[in-house]
Amino acid sequence: MKIAVTSIAIAIILALAVSLPALAQQNSTITITMTGLNEISISLDKTQWPLGTVASNTEYETIPQIEWCTLTVQGTCNVNTFIVGDDAKWISDPNTYKWTLSNDGTNGEHIYGLRFRISGDTARGYVPITKTQSEFWPYSGGSSLAPGDHKQFGLRLLTPTYFYSGRQMQTQITISAVAA
Amino acid sequence: MAGHIKAAGLIAALLVIILPSLTLAQDVNFGVSPAEVRISDLPPGNATEFELTIHNKDEIAHNFTITTFPPPEEERREGRAQFPSDSWISFSCPRIEIAGTSQANATVTVTIPQEQKWAGRDWEIWLGVTPESTDLLAVKLYVRLLVSTSGTRFNAGLVTGIAVAIVLLGYGSYHYFRRKTKPE
Repeated sequence: MKIAVTSIAIAIILALAVSLPALAQQNSTITITMTGLNEISISLDKTQWPLGTVASNTEYETIPQIEWCTLTVQGTCNVNTFIVGDDAKWISDPNTYKWTLSNDGTNGEHIYGLRFRISGDTARGYVPITKTQSEFWPYSGGSSLAPGDHKQFGLRLLTPTYFYSGRQMQTQITISAVAA
Repeated sequence: MAGHIKAAGLIAALLVIILPSLTLAQDVNFGVSPAEVRISDLPPGNATEFELTIHNKDEIAHNFTITTFPPPEEERREGRAQFPSDSWISFSCPRIEIAGTSQANATVTVTIPQEQKWAGRDWEIWLGVTPESTDLLAVKLYVRLLVSTSGTRFNAGLVTGIAVAIVLLGYGSYHYFRRKTKPE
């Protein structure tokens, strides 16, 4: 009799010992931390480059070459910056004709190239802009941009070796930032 | 003469108008806060929400869109894996119009499916905010969203506990009734 009662008591104790921590977890608190309520912000002092009519297989550069646009870091946090390009599409019918953006800054038939260069970035010179997001200011060495920092840059466009004439083309380059 | 016309036609054929707008560029000046959101101990099967604030610092109204972006491994915080599905994240308003020099909030809801395989994970996904624009240059601001789900111990512990209880209770009952029915 004694053994039976002891067994049942041990069983209950063990069951509670194993189950209670698990049950307690059901009511655990979900924590949401918003890091210091930091604000992220960057701005550009130019967003358009009106080229007008362009010829095939020709290189165009912004003027001034590498101090054409200024990126300013605002907000309250250090940032890593990126750049990504896209195909240039025919404004009248974007689904039927485009210039494909090359992945190395070169050109081809209906393929165009884009490059950017940041003033002071002597190591990289002109860097291709591709459809894959890549570093704008090279932060991988630990040099993210701080609030108040300015970076001037310019663009270089290489038109396709051949394209259909008389069509207005439009593209977009996105410069983005994330907290470092 | 025919040769000249042909050459002129060829040159004309190679001309196109790109980015023809002569409109003055309108830089959109905006900010997003917070820059980083960390959600911890979110159990599978649960949802939580938080607010993003978009500050339109321009004097004119702009439309902003909010999207998700899976950052490549080298851009993620250490130990963070790619967020499994962007369908687990929803926005109260993926497109929001904000008047000049004002701000607006968007509620972001994160829902983790019930399956236990999603327990005890650490993920990262970025929320991108960008003003609608057809200009050549556009700005996008990313908010880092770090999500950690609570551990796997809940169900495993409960099941183990119940199993141990059943075995021991059975064993105890067996001995109790065996002794009870045993003749003196």
